[in-house]
Amino acid sequence: MMRRLANIALLLVAVAFCYGLQVSKPHYGDLIGPIPARGKPGDTVVGRGFEIHAEKIEFARKLTVDQYGQTKILTTGGVWAVVTAEFAARAQSTVVSVASWRGPTGLTYDQTERLSFMNGLLPVALDPGLPRKARLIFELRPDEVSNATLLVSEKLVAALDSQAEISLGPVTTAADGLPTGTVDMLDMAQPL
Amino acid sequence: MLENAGSRLKAWAIAGIGTAAAIAVAGVLGAFGARHEPLPVLAPSSRIDTGEWQIRPLKAYVSAEKYVYGALLKPGGKALVLELEMTNRTARSTKDYFDLLQVGQATIDPATKPFIALVRDSTMSPELHPGMPERMAYIWQLPDGAAASASLELTVIRKTYKPRDNLYGLPGWFNPAPIGTMTIPVGAGPDAPDMQP
Repeated sequence: MMRRLANIALLLVAVAFCYGLQVSKPHYGDLIGPIPARGKPGDTVVGRGFEIHAEKIEFARKLTVDQYGQTKILTTGGVWAVVTAEFAARAQSTVVSVASWRGPTGLTYDQTERLSFMNGLLPVALDPGLPRKARLIFELRPDEVSNATLLVSEKLVAALDSQAEISLGPVTTAADGLPTGTVDMLDMAQPL
Repeated sequence: MLENAGSRLKAWAIAGIGTAAAIAVAGVLGAFGARHEPLPVLAPSSRIDTGEWQIRPLKAYVSAEKYVYGALLKPGGKALVLELEMTNRTARSTKDYFDLLQVGQATIDPATKPFIALVRDSTMSPELHPGMPERMAYIWQLPDGAAASASLELTVIRKTYKPRDNLYGLPGWFNPAPIGTMTIPVGAGPDAPDMQP
Protein backbone atom coordinates (compact mmCIF):
# COMPACT_ATOMS: atom_id res chain seq x y z
CA MET A 1 0.00 0.00 0.00
CA MET A 2 2.74 2.40 1.05
CA ARG A 3 4.72 1.44 -1.99
CA ARG A 4 1.81 2.07 -4.35
CA LEU A 5 1.23 5.54 -2.83
CA ALA A 6 4.92 6.34 -3.25
CA ASN A 7 4.75 5.29 -6.90
CA ILE A 8 1.74 7.50 -7.52
CA ALA A 9 3.46 10.44 -5.81
CA LEU A 10 6.56 9.89 -7.94
CA LEU A 11 4.41 9.80 -11.08
CA LEU A 12 2.75 13.08 -10.13
CA VAL A 13 6.12 14.69 -9.48
CA ALA A 14 7.33 13.48 -12.89
CA VAL A 15 4.23 14.90 -14.59
CA ALA A 16 4.66 18.27 -12.83
CA PHE A 17 8.36 18.33 -13.78
CA CYS A 18 7.66 17.57 -17.44
CA TYR A 19 4.92 20.22 -17.51
CA GLY A 20 7.35 22.76 -16.03
CA LEU A 21 9.92 21.90 -18.70
CA GLN A 22 7.31 22.30 -21.43
CA VAL A 23 6.07 25.65 -20.11
CA SER A 24 9.53 27.13 -19.58
CA LYS A 25 10.92 25.94 -22.91
CA PRO A 26 12.19 28.97 -24.88
CA HIS A 27 10.50 29.45 -28.22
CA TYR A 28 12.37 29.04 -31.47
CA GLY A 29 12.02 32.74 -32.22
CA ASP A 30 13.71 33.61 -28.90
CA LEU A 31 16.49 31.10 -29.41
CA ILE A 32 17.55 32.40 -32.81
CA GLY A 33 16.87 36.09 -32.06
CA PRO A 34 19.46 38.83 -32.34
CA ILE A 35 22.17 39.10 -29.69
CA PRO A 36 22.00 42.55 -28.05
CA ALA A 37 25.03 44.83 -27.66
CA ARG A 38 23.80 47.54 -25.31
CA GLY A 39 24.94 51.10 -24.84
CA LYS A 40 24.02 54.77 -24.46
CA PRO A 41 24.34 57.72 -26.84
CA GLY A 42 27.98 58.78 -26.81
CA ASP A 43 29.20 55.24 -26.15
CA THR A 44 30.78 53.17 -28.88
CA VAL A 45 28.63 50.06 -29.04
CA VAL A 46 30.60 47.12 -30.35
CA GLY A 47 28.85 44.31 -32.20
CA ARG A 48 30.28 41.28 -33.97
CA GLY A 49 30.81 42.92 -37.33
CA PHE A 50 30.41 46.66 -36.75
CA GLU A 51 30.63 49.47 -34.22
CA ILE A 52 28.21 52.36 -33.81
CA HIS A 53 28.57 55.64 -31.98
CA ALA A 54 25.35 57.67 -31.81
CA GLU A 55 26.43 61.32 -31.74
CA LYS A 56 23.29 63.42 -31.67
CA ILE A 57 19.53 63.25 -31.91
CA GLU A 58 17.48 66.06 -33.39
CA PHE A 59 13.72 66.45 -33.67
CA ALA A 60 11.95 68.45 -36.36
CA ARG A 61 8.47 69.19 -37.65
CA LYS A 62 9.61 69.25 -41.27
CA LEU A 63 12.63 68.13 -43.26
CA THR A 64 14.01 69.79 -46.36
CA VAL A 65 15.83 67.64 -48.87
CA ASP A 66 17.36 68.19 -52.27
CA GLN A 67 15.86 65.94 -54.91
CA TYR A 68 17.23 66.26 -58.45
CA GLY A 69 18.23 69.87 -57.78
CA GLN A 70 14.85 70.83 -56.33
CA THR A 71 14.15 71.49 -52.69
CA LYS A 72 11.43 69.30 -51.31
CA ILE A 73 9.75 69.74 -47.91
CA LEU A 74 8.65 66.59 -46.14
CA THR A 75 5.87 66.93 -43.59
CA THR A 76 4.75 64.31 -41.10
CA GLY A 77 1.73 63.50 -38.98
CA GLY A 78 4.00 63.07 -35.96
CA VAL A 79 7.57 64.27 -35.51
CA TRP A 80 10.80 63.57 -37.37
CA ALA A 81 13.72 62.16 -35.38
CA VAL A 82 17.16 62.35 -36.99
CA VAL A 83 20.00 60.40 -35.37
CA THR A 84 23.53 61.09 -36.57
CA ALA A 85 25.82 58.13 -35.95
CA GLU A 86 29.32 57.08 -36.80
CA PHE A 87 29.79 53.52 -38.01
CA ALA A 88 32.94 51.44 -38.28
CA ALA A 89 33.63 47.94 -39.51
CA ARG A 90 35.64 45.61 -37.28
CA ALA A 91 37.65 42.82 -38.90
CA GLN A 92 36.16 42.84 -42.40
CA SER A 93 34.07 44.97 -44.73
CA THR A 94 30.35 44.89 -44.04
CA VAL A 95 27.10 46.71 -44.73
CA VAL A 96 24.84 48.04 -41.98
CA SER A 97 21.36 48.32 -43.39
CA VAL A 98 18.64 48.14 -40.75
CA ALA A 99 17.69 50.54 -37.97
CA SER A 100 14.51 50.91 -35.99
CA TRP A 101 13.23 52.94 -33.06
CA ARG A 102 11.48 51.03 -30.29
CA GLY A 103 9.30 53.33 -28.19
CA PRO A 104 8.55 52.94 -24.48
CA THR A 105 5.38 50.92 -25.19
CA GLY A 106 7.17 48.56 -27.57
CA LEU A 107 5.91 50.06 -30.84
CA THR A 108 8.70 49.69 -33.38
CA TYR A 109 9.26 52.33 -36.04
CA ASP A 110 11.42 51.44 -39.02
CA GLN A 111 13.47 54.07 -40.81
CA THR A 112 11.37 56.15 -43.13
CA GLU A 113 11.24 55.09 -46.78
CA ARG A 114 10.23 58.55 -47.95
CA LEU A 115 13.82 59.79 -48.41
CA SER A 116 15.17 56.75 -50.23
CA PHE A 117 16.73 58.96 -52.92
CA MET A 118 18.96 60.77 -50.40
CA ASN A 119 22.64 60.10 -49.68
CA GLY A 120 23.94 59.54 -46.19
CA LEU A 121 21.25 57.10 -45.09
CA LEU A 122 21.49 53.40 -44.42
CA PRO A 123 22.60 51.06 -45.88
CA VAL A 124 26.22 52.14 -45.35
CA ALA A 125 29.09 50.06 -46.70
CA LEU A 126 31.94 49.97 -44.19
CA ASP A 127 35.57 48.96 -44.47
CA PRO A 128 37.91 48.33 -41.52
CA GLY A 129 39.77 51.46 -40.46
CA LEU A 130 37.51 53.78 -42.47
CA PRO A 131 34.67 54.98 -40.22
CA ARG A 132 31.67 56.66 -41.85
CA LYS A 133 28.82 58.77 -40.64
CA ALA A 134 25.20 58.26 -41.55
CA ARG A 135 21.79 59.57 -40.62
CA LEU A 136 18.98 57.43 -39.30
CA ILE A 137 15.64 59.15 -39.93
CA PHE A 138 12.41 58.09 -38.25
CA GLU A 139 8.83 59.30 -38.38
CA LEU A 140 7.43 58.92 -34.86
CA ARG A 141 4.39 59.49 -32.76
CA PRO A 142 5.36 62.17 -30.20
CA ASP A 143 4.45 59.88 -27.28
CA GLU A 144 6.95 57.24 -28.48
CA VAL A 145 9.95 59.58 -28.29
CA SER A 146 10.94 59.38 -24.62
CA ASN A 147 12.80 56.38 -23.16
CA ALA A 148 13.17 54.77 -26.56
CA THR A 149 15.73 52.25 -27.78
CA LEU A 150 17.53 52.49 -31.09
CA LEU A 151 18.05 49.08 -32.71
CA VAL A 152 20.71 48.78 -35.42
CA SER A 153 21.73 45.61 -37.22
CA GLU A 154 23.44 44.57 -40.40
CA LYS A 155 20.59 42.55 -41.86
CA LEU A 156 16.83 42.59 -41.52
CA VAL A 157 16.79 39.11 -40.02
CA ALA A 158 19.55 39.53 -37.43
CA ALA A 159 19.24 35.89 -36.34
CA LEU A 160 22.15 34.90 -34.09
CA ASP A 161 23.99 38.08 -35.00
CA SER A 162 24.58 41.17 -32.92
CA GLN A 163 22.14 44.05 -32.80
CA ALA A 164 23.18 47.35 -31.24
CA GLU A 165 20.61 48.49 -28.68
CA ILE A 166 21.14 52.10 -27.68
CA SER A 167 18.96 53.38 -24.82
CA LEU A 168 18.13 56.96 -25.65
CA GLY A 169 16.85 57.98 -22.22
CA PRO A 170 14.09 60.40 -21.22
CA VAL A 171 13.16 63.32 -23.47
CA THR A 172 11.14 66.19 -22.02
CA THR A 173 8.02 67.35 -23.81
CA ALA A 174 7.20 70.95 -24.60
CA ALA A 175 3.74 72.52 -24.30
CA ASP A 176 2.80 71.62 -27.89
CA GLY A 177 3.27 67.90 -27.18
CA LEU A 178 6.47 67.64 -29.22
CA PRO A 179 9.88 66.98 -27.64
CA THR A 180 11.72 69.99 -26.18
CA GLY A 181 14.07 71.51 -28.73
CA THR A 182 12.05 70.41 -31.78
CA VAL A 183 13.02 72.69 -34.64
CA ASP A 184 10.56 73.69 -37.34
CA MET A 185 12.77 72.76 -40.27
CA LEU A 186 15.87 70.60 -40.54
CA ASP A 187 17.98 70.74 -43.67
CA MET A 188 19.10 67.28 -44.77
CA ALA A 189 21.33 68.74 -47.49
CA GLN A 190 23.79 69.86 -44.80
CA PRO A 191 26.93 67.69 -44.80
CA LEU A 192 27.23 65.22 -41.96
CA MET B 1 -20.71 -20.02 -51.89
CA LEU B 2 -24.14 -18.61 -51.07
CA GLU B 3 -23.16 -18.09 -47.45
CA ASN B 4 -20.14 -16.15 -48.57
CA ALA B 5 -22.24 -13.88 -50.84
CA GLY B 6 -24.69 -13.26 -48.02
CA SER B 7 -22.04 -12.11 -45.57
CA ARG B 8 -20.47 -9.90 -48.22
CA LEU B 9 -23.83 -8.31 -48.94
CA LYS B 10 -24.30 -7.70 -45.23
CA ALA B 11 -20.89 -6.00 -45.00
CA TRP B 12 -21.70 -3.75 -47.98
CA ALA B 13 -25.07 -2.84 -46.52
CA ILE B 14 -23.55 -1.91 -43.14
CA ALA B 15 -20.84 0.18 -44.80
CA GLY B 16 -23.47 1.97 -46.92
CA ILE B 17 -25.71 2.70 -43.95
CA GLY B 18 -22.74 4.00 -41.99
CA THR B 19 -21.68 6.36 -44.76
CA ALA B 20 -25.23 7.63 -45.24
CA ALA B 21 -25.54 8.25 -41.50
CA ALA B 22 -22.21 10.16 -41.43
CA ILE B 23 -23.28 12.38 -44.35
CA ALA B 24 -26.66 13.00 -42.73
CA VAL B 25 -25.05 14.01 -39.41
CA ALA B 26 -22.62 16.35 -41.25
CA GLY B 27 -25.55 17.90 -43.10
CA VAL B 28 -27.49 18.42 -39.87
CA LEU B 29 -24.41 20.08 -38.33
CA GLY B 30 -24.30 22.50 -41.26
CA ALA B 31 -21.27 21.26 -43.19
CA PHE B 32 -22.90 21.95 -46.57
CA GLY B 33 -24.40 25.35 -45.85
CA ALA B 34 -21.57 27.18 -44.13
CA ARG B 35 -19.89 28.82 -47.12
CA HIS B 36 -22.95 30.23 -48.80
CA GLU B 37 -23.76 33.11 -46.49
CA PRO B 38 -23.50 36.46 -48.30
CA LEU B 39 -20.83 38.87 -47.04
CA PRO B 40 -22.06 41.75 -44.89
CA VAL B 41 -22.36 45.13 -46.58
CA LEU B 42 -20.15 47.78 -44.95
CA ALA B 43 -21.07 51.45 -44.85
CA PRO B 44 -18.65 53.18 -47.26
CA SER B 45 -17.78 56.07 -44.96
CA SER B 46 -17.31 54.03 -41.80
CA ARG B 47 -14.07 53.11 -40.07
CA ILE B 48 -13.31 49.48 -40.80
CA ASP B 49 -11.04 47.34 -38.67
CA THR B 50 -9.20 44.69 -40.69
CA GLY B 51 -6.93 43.45 -37.94
CA GLU B 52 -3.72 45.03 -39.17
CA TRP B 53 -5.31 48.24 -40.44
CA GLN B 54 -8.06 50.64 -39.66
CA ILE B 55 -9.31 52.12 -42.91
CA ARG B 56 -11.73 54.94 -43.67
CA PRO B 57 -12.56 55.49 -47.35
CA LEU B 58 -12.58 59.19 -48.22
CA LYS B 59 -13.39 59.48 -51.92
CA ALA B 60 -13.16 57.76 -55.27
CA TYR B 61 -12.80 59.41 -58.67
CA VAL B 62 -11.54 58.88 -62.19
CA SER B 63 -8.42 60.78 -63.21
CA ALA B 64 -7.01 61.33 -66.68
CA GLU B 65 -3.86 63.14 -65.56
CA LYS B 66 -0.47 61.87 -66.74
CA TYR B 67 0.74 61.37 -63.18
CA VAL B 68 -1.59 60.46 -60.34
CA TYR B 69 0.32 60.79 -57.06
CA GLY B 70 3.55 59.93 -58.80
CA ALA B 71 2.12 56.93 -60.68
CA LEU B 72 2.69 57.28 -64.43
CA LEU B 73 -0.39 56.29 -66.43
CA LYS B 74 -0.27 54.91 -69.97
CA PRO B 75 -0.65 57.68 -72.57
CA GLY B 76 -4.31 58.58 -72.96
CA GLY B 77 -5.21 56.22 -70.15
CA LYS B 78 -7.45 56.81 -67.20
CA ALA B 79 -7.18 55.63 -63.66
CA LEU B 80 -9.67 54.96 -60.93
CA VAL B 81 -8.37 56.48 -57.71
CA LEU B 82 -9.55 55.61 -54.21
CA GLU B 83 -8.30 57.80 -51.40
CA LEU B 84 -8.56 56.50 -47.89
CA GLU B 85 -7.18 57.05 -44.43
CA MET B 86 -5.16 54.10 -43.15
CA THR B 87 -3.87 53.54 -39.64
CA ASN B 88 -1.41 50.81 -38.76
CA ARG B 89 -2.88 48.99 -35.74
CA THR B 90 0.08 46.67 -35.25
CA ALA B 91 3.20 47.15 -33.15
CA ARG B 92 5.63 47.68 -36.01
CA SER B 93 6.00 49.50 -39.30
CA THR B 94 4.57 47.52 -42.19
CA LYS B 95 3.49 47.75 -45.82
CA ASP B 96 1.24 44.69 -45.79
CA TYR B 97 -1.61 46.49 -47.57
CA PHE B 98 -1.37 45.07 -51.07
CA ASP B 99 -4.15 42.52 -50.51
CA LEU B 100 -6.30 44.71 -48.30
CA LEU B 101 -8.86 45.66 -50.94
CA GLN B 102 -10.22 43.56 -53.81
CA VAL B 103 -12.12 45.31 -56.56
CA GLY B 104 -15.35 43.85 -57.85
CA GLN B 105 -15.35 42.14 -61.23
CA ALA B 106 -17.85 44.69 -62.59
CA THR B 107 -15.50 47.64 -62.03
CA ILE B 108 -12.00 46.50 -62.94
CA ASP B 109 -10.36 43.22 -63.84
CA PRO B 110 -9.36 41.83 -60.42
CA ALA B 111 -5.93 40.90 -61.84
CA THR B 112 -5.06 44.62 -62.18
CA LYS B 113 -2.64 45.47 -59.40
CA PRO B 114 -3.08 49.00 -58.07
CA PHE B 115 -0.33 51.52 -57.48
CA ILE B 116 -0.47 52.48 -53.80
CA ALA B 117 0.90 55.91 -52.93
CA LEU B 118 1.20 58.20 -49.95
CA VAL B 119 -0.84 61.32 -50.71
CA ARG B 120 1.40 63.52 -48.54
CA ASP B 121 4.36 63.39 -50.93
CA SER B 122 3.57 60.74 -53.57
CA THR B 123 5.95 58.11 -52.17
CA MET B 124 5.15 54.75 -53.77
CA SER B 125 4.09 52.07 -51.27
CA PRO B 126 5.98 53.28 -48.20
CA GLU B 127 5.90 51.50 -44.87
CA LEU B 128 3.26 52.96 -42.56
CA HIS B 129 4.13 53.40 -38.92
CA PRO B 130 2.17 52.25 -35.86
CA GLY B 131 -0.62 54.53 -34.70
CA MET B 132 0.01 57.23 -37.33
CA PRO B 133 -2.99 57.72 -39.68
CA GLU B 134 -1.98 58.52 -43.25
CA ARG B 135 -3.95 59.40 -46.35
CA MET B 136 -3.22 56.84 -49.04
CA ALA B 137 -4.34 56.49 -52.67
CA TYR B 138 -5.05 53.20 -54.47
CA ILE B 139 -4.69 53.83 -58.22
CA TRP B 140 -6.07 51.27 -60.68
CA GLN B 141 -5.26 51.82 -64.34
CA LEU B 142 -8.48 51.39 -66.36
CA PRO B 143 -8.36 49.45 -69.63
CA ASP B 144 -8.34 51.55 -72.81
CA GLY B 145 -11.77 52.83 -73.77
CA ALA B 146 -13.44 51.47 -70.66
CA ALA B 147 -16.40 53.48 -69.50
CA ALA B 148 -16.00 54.70 -65.95
CA SER B 149 -18.63 53.13 -63.76
CA ALA B 150 -20.61 55.20 -61.30
CA SER B 151 -19.56 53.18 -58.29
CA LEU B 152 -16.59 51.20 -57.06
CA GLU B 153 -17.28 47.82 -55.50
CA LEU B 154 -14.73 46.60 -53.00
CA THR B 155 -14.24 43.55 -50.86
CA VAL B 156 -12.28 44.25 -47.68
CA ILE B 157 -9.90 41.51 -46.55
CA ARG B 158 -8.87 40.99 -42.94
CA LYS B 159 -5.99 38.99 -41.51
CA THR B 160 -5.54 37.22 -38.19
CA TYR B 161 -2.62 37.63 -35.82
CA LYS B 162 -0.69 34.56 -34.75
CA PRO B 163 1.90 35.00 -31.99
CA ARG B 164 3.85 32.10 -33.52
CA ASP B 165 3.48 30.79 -37.03
CA ASN B 166 3.82 27.09 -37.76
CA LEU B 167 6.94 27.38 -39.90
CA TYR B 168 9.32 29.78 -38.15
CA GLY B 169 7.69 30.24 -34.73
CA LEU B 170 7.62 34.00 -35.31
CA PRO B 171 4.66 36.39 -34.98
CA GLY B 172 2.77 37.52 -38.04
CA TRP B 173 -0.54 38.19 -39.76
CA PHE B 174 -2.03 35.27 -41.66
CA ASN B 175 -5.19 33.72 -43.15
CA PRO B 176 -6.70 36.47 -45.30
CA ALA B 177 -10.50 36.29 -45.28
CA PRO B 178 -13.13 38.72 -46.58
CA ILE B 179 -15.03 40.70 -43.97
CA GLY B 180 -17.52 42.47 -46.18
CA THR B 181 -18.21 44.40 -49.33
CA MET B 182 -18.85 48.06 -49.87
CA THR B 183 -19.87 50.31 -52.72
CA ILE B 184 -18.26 53.72 -53.00
CA PRO B 185 -19.73 56.36 -55.32
CA VAL B 186 -17.22 57.48 -57.97
CA GLY B 187 -17.00 61.27 -58.11
CA ALA B 188 -16.13 63.46 -61.05
CA GLY B 189 -12.64 64.51 -60.08
CA PRO B 190 -10.01 64.93 -57.38
CA ASP B 191 -11.66 68.08 -56.00
CA ALA B 192 -14.73 66.30 -54.64
CA PRO B 193 -15.14 66.64 -50.85
CA ASP B 194 -14.31 63.71 -48.57
CA MET B 195 -17.10 61.45 -47.40
CA GLN B 196 -18.03 62.19 -43.81
CA PRO B 197 -18.86 59.41 -41.38
